[in-house]
Amino acid sequence: MNRIMVLAVFFLSGAAALLYQVVWQRALFAIVGINFESVTIVVTAFMLGLGAGSMGGGALSRNPRRSVLLLFAAAEACIGLFGFFSLPLLRWVGDLTLNLSYAGTFLVTFLSVLVPTALMGATLPLLVAHFVRGSGNVGRSVGILYFINTLGSAGASFASVLYVLAHFGQAGTTRIAAAMNAIAAISMGVEHLRTRRRPA
Amino acid sequence: MSLALAMWVAALAGFLSLSYEILWYRAYAFVSEGSPAAFGLMLGAFLLGIAAGSLASWLWCRDGAASGDRTRLPPIAAFVLCANLASFAVIPALARIAVVANWRWSLVLVGVAAGLMGATLPLVSHFGISPDARAGSRLSYIYGANIVGSTCGSLLTGTVLLNGLSLARTANVLAVLGLALATAVLLLSPMGRLARGLAGIGLLGLSTGVTLATPAIHSQVYERMFDKAEYTADHPFAEILENRHGVITVRDGKVYGGGAYDGAFNTGLDDDKNSVYRTYLIASMRPAAGKVLMIGLASGSWAQVLAHMPGLDKMTVVEINPGYLDLIRGRPEVRGVLSHPKVEVVIDDGRRWLARHPQEKFDLVVMNTTWHYRAHITNLLSREFLQMIRASLRPGGMLYFNTTGSLEAMKTSLAVFAHGVRVFNFMAVSDSPLWPDGARFREAITGWQIEGKPVLDLSLPAHRARLDSLLGLIDTVNHPPVTLGLEGSDSLRVRLASTAVITDDNMYSEWFPLEPPP
Repeated sequence: MNRIMVLAVFFLSGAAALLYQVVWQRALFAIVGINFESVTIVVTAFMLGLGAGSMGGGALSRNPRRSVLLLFAAAEACIGLFGFFSLPLLRWVGDLTLNLSYAGTFLVTFLSVLVPTALMGATLPLLVAHFVRGSGNVGRSVGILYFINTLGSAGASFASVLYVLAHFGQAGTTRIAAAMNAIAAISMGVEHLRTRRRPA
Repeated sequence: MSLALAMWVAALAGFLSLSYEILWYRAYAFVSEGSPAAFGLMLGAFLLGIAAGSLASWLWCRDGAASGDRTRLPPIAAFVLCANLASFAVIPALARIAVVANWRWSLVLVGVAAGLMGATLPLVSHFGISPDARAGSRLSYIYGANIVGSTCGSLLTGTVLLNGLSLARTANVLAVLGLALATAVLLLSPMGRLARGLAGIGLLGLSTGVTLATPAIHSQVYERMFDKAEYTADHPFAEILENRHGVITVRDGKVYGGGAYDGAFNTGLDDDKNSVYRTYLIASMRPAAGKVLMIGLASGSWAQVLAHMPGLDKMTVVEINPGYLDLIRGRPEVRGVLSHPKVEVVIDDGRRWLARHPQEKFDLVVMNTTWHYRAHITNLLSREFLQMIRASLRPGGMLYFNTTGSLEAMKTSLAVFAHGVRVFNFMAVSDSPLWPDGARFREAITGWQIEGKPVLDLSLPAHRARLDSLLGLIDTVNHPPVTLGLEGSDSLRVRLASTAVITDDNMYSEWFPLEPPP
C-alpha cells in the first residue's frame, strides 16, 4: 500500500470537512439565527454526527475482510455528493424549521447534517484499522492519521478566512470541497483496486 | 490502562479542550472587534496545535505493546497538566500581548496549548487499545468519547458557566478541573504511597494557587484587549456585563458590544455624542412613524427617540442579547423605553424573527447596524435580507439603516429598493419616492417630546441654532454630494455603478471591508 498517497488523501479529506463545516455553519446561522441557542444547536448537531460516525466507522472496521479503502472511498464520494448540493438543501431545511421550537429545530438540523458528518467521523477509525493491520502500533497509527487529517483542517481553516471564502463565496467553497472529496474518493478507489490485484 | 479509562481520559480532555476553545473565541472576538477572520485564525492555530501534538505522540509511541500498562500513565498526566496550564494562560497572555504587539502573536500559545491537549488522544489510544483486528473499533469508542466530552464541554461551558461566571472565573473552574484530571490519571499509575501523597498534595497546591492568582492574572483583560497600545490601568470600564450571549462593556457613557462600539446613552440634540440627529432626520422623510420594527436595541437611545416620534402606533424591538435590557434599566435617560406602552421588546435573532413573522407588516424598519466588517453582519446587510424587509413593509414603508460607511451596503439597498437617500452613513430606502423636506422636519421636531420634555425648545438661542444647522444639513441633498450630508439615489447610483452587491453567498463587506478590523 502506498501510505504516502493514503495520507495525502486523508489530508484532503480533513481540509474538505473543515470547509464544509465553515460554510454550513454560516448558512445555518443565516437560517436559524446567530443567537446563542441556535449556535448551540448547530454545533451540537455537528459534534453528535461526528461521534455517531466514529462509532459506525469502528463497527465497519471490525471485519478484516472488508476493504476499508473502498469504504473510505465510498464515504468521500457520498460526502462530496452531499456537499455539492448542500446549500440548496440546507435552505430547504431552513424553511422546514422556520416555525419549529428549538427542540424541533435541533432535530431537523441534526438529521440534515447527520449523514455527511457521520461519514466524516467514520473515516478516522476506518483508516486506523487499516494502518494498525499493517504496523501493529495503535499510537503511531492514530498519531500520524490524526496529525495529517487535522493538518488538512488547520490549513483549510486558515485558507478559508484568508482567501477562499472571500474569493469564492459559500457556493464556490462547497464546490472546492466537493472536488477535494472527488479526488479523495477516486484516489482511494484506485488504491483499493491496486491493492486487490496485488498477489498475496 | 484499560479501554474504559482511556475513554474517560479522552472524554474529559475533549471536554476541557472545547471549553477552553469557547473561552478563547470570546476573547479573540472581543480583541478583534468581531472580525470574521478571528474564529478561523483561532481554529486554525488550535487545529495546527492538535496536529503537532499528534505528530509528537507518533514519535513518542515507538513501542508496539503498551496496551493496559499503567506505568505509561504519568506521561499522559504530564501532558494534561501542561496543556491545562498553557490553556489557562492563553487569555491573560493574549490581553498582555495585545498591549505591546499584534494580538495575532498570541495564537502561538493557542497552538501550544491545543498541541499538548491534542497529544492526549493518540497517547490514550496507544495505551488503551491492543494492536489487533479490533483496533479501529476500539479507537472509535475513544474517539467517540472524546467527541461526546467535547460536545458536553461546549454545552456546559457555553450554557451554564459563561452565563453565571465571568471569563476569568470560568477559566479558573476549567483549570481546576484539568488539574483534577491530571491528578486522577497520575494517582492511577503504580506508585508508592509517599509519591502518591506528594503528587496529590502538589497538584492540590497548584489548584489553590491558580484559584488565588486568577483575579490578578486576569486583571483588566478586557481593558487591555480593548485599548491595546493605548492601555492604561487608570481607565477601566465602568461596567462589564458577561453572559452566555456575549460581553457588553461601558466606558464614558459609551456602550461596546463584544469589543465594538454599539452606541452611547444620549437622546438629546445638544451634546450629540452618538450622532442621534440621524434618528430625528427620519421625520424629514416621513411625517409619522406608524408601525415600527427596530432590529437591535444596544444602548436604547435610538429606541427611546423613536418611541416618542410623532404618530407612532406601535414599535417592536428585536434584540439578540438580553444583557442590554439590564444595562438600560440602570440608565434614567433611556430606561423609559422598556416600560413605554407602545413598545414591545423581543429577545431573538432579528433575521430569524422576521422570517418567523411574515404576517407582520411595518411602516418603518430601523437598524442601527453594527460595523460592516464584523462576523455575520452579512445576515443583516445582504440582498436576501433586505428583500425580506422589503416584503415586510406596508405600501410607502421605509427602511432606515446604518451602513457604517460601507459603499457595498449602500449599493445593495439601492439594488433592492426603487428609491433611496443617503443620510451621512445611513440609508433610507423605499419603493415609494423619498425626498427629505426641511419644512416637514421642522414641524415634526417642534412637537417631538421625550417623556414630556421637548427635544428642541425654540425659545432658546442654542436650540434655534441647532435646528438651523439640521435644516442646513437636510438641504445638502439639493447640492453636490458631501460625506457629512444627504444624497439622493440618482447621484448614488452613478457613484456606485461598479460597487459590489452584498449577498448571503459572497459576504462581501465582511471580507473586503472599507477599513480593516484591528
